[in-house]
Amino acid sequence: MEVTIIYMKDDVCHFLIEGVDVAFANALRRTMLTRVPSMAIDEVLILENTSVMYDEMLAHRLGLIPLVTPLEDYNHPDECDCEGKGCSLCQCTLTLEVEAEGEEKLVYSGDLMSQDPKVVPASDKIPLVKLAPGQRIIIEAYARLGTGRENAKFQPVSTVAYKYVPVVSIDTKACDRCGVCVEICPKKIFRLEGDVLSTQNTLECSLCELCVKECEPNAITIDSKPDSFLFKVESTGALEPTVIIEKALDILKERIRIALDFANLL
Amino acid sequence: MIIPVRCFTCGKVVADKYEEFRRQVRQGADPAEVLDNLGLHRYCCRRMLLAHIDIIDSFMAFATIGAEEAKQSE
Ligand SMILES: [Zn+2]
Ligand SMILES: [Zn+2]
Repeated sequence: MEVTIIYMKDDVCHFLIEGVDVAFANALRRTMLTRVPSMAIDEVLILENTSVMYDEMLAHRLGLIPLVTPLEDYNHPDECDCEGKGCSLCQCTLTLEVEAEGEEKLVYSGDLMSQDPKVVPASDKIPLVKLAPGQRIIIEAYARLGTGRENAKFQPVSTVAYKYVPVVSIDTKACDRCGVCVEICPKKIFRLEGDVLSTQNTLECSLCELCVKECEPNAITIDSKPDSFLFKVESTGALEPTVIIEKALDILKERIRIALDFANLL
Repeated sequence: MIIPVRCFTCGKVVADKYEEFRRQVRQGADPAEVLDNLGLHRYCCRRMLLAHIDIIDSFMAFATIGAEEAKQSE
């Protein structure tokens, strides 16, 4: 197995993984989606809410805010010594206290005050509710670790997808340089310069095969490598994409070990 | 009511980009270009901003509790 990072910026990571089969690629994808823990607000205590928004809706919006997660500092409530009751080792309290005095006021995720300076909203600019003059909200929210298996708000990623590595080949003898493929390709894979048809950024190819359909002399073939996959991982901001991938591989390894141990017992 | 926090389909946070999107579009920018620059490449996330209508302001016209309290405290 070989991993090459193709692109990495802020919350996005594209990488190429070679020498694995589809089952492994999909297992990795699903582990990143549903098994990697991250923090989110799970319980909300509404002390006062005179805004036009219902308590439930406000609580729901709070739950969806991605929180920066220090994985080492917190226990999963099910594995904590407090047996899921909630203690400082498995829970983080955030408070939100805003009042609109003279004029209308937008409440942002950045107004949340966290008990732990490491657990803060990944983005400070998420509007939560708008307050009319005189309206007030006082809220206590409890964040905890969870996994995407429980609720999608705990997913550390917004998208993880993989595709086969495209192999675009041109039969130069059959090609009549009509240039139809250059026009039709939505990803601009082909380039016709003078009398030479060449390919560029072939990794971008979405395997739509429009070029194959449109090419009169059938000079283009699109194939894919069976054992290589292009992954796109997009973090919500809760965890770094590299951490998500590493953590997912650790979890996958552990789960395979448990399955093998069980199989050996039979 | 107010811009949804995340994209319904893929779960990407879109709410924090709405104000910037609205500001630039009001100034006459092409919505497609603004969305590209904000990093919303998938059409599921793009429709979240494009099709959104903020109606919380209309609701706020009927807000009475806050206004009454404000009057009392004056
Ligand atoms: Zn605990
Ligand atoms: Zn989306």
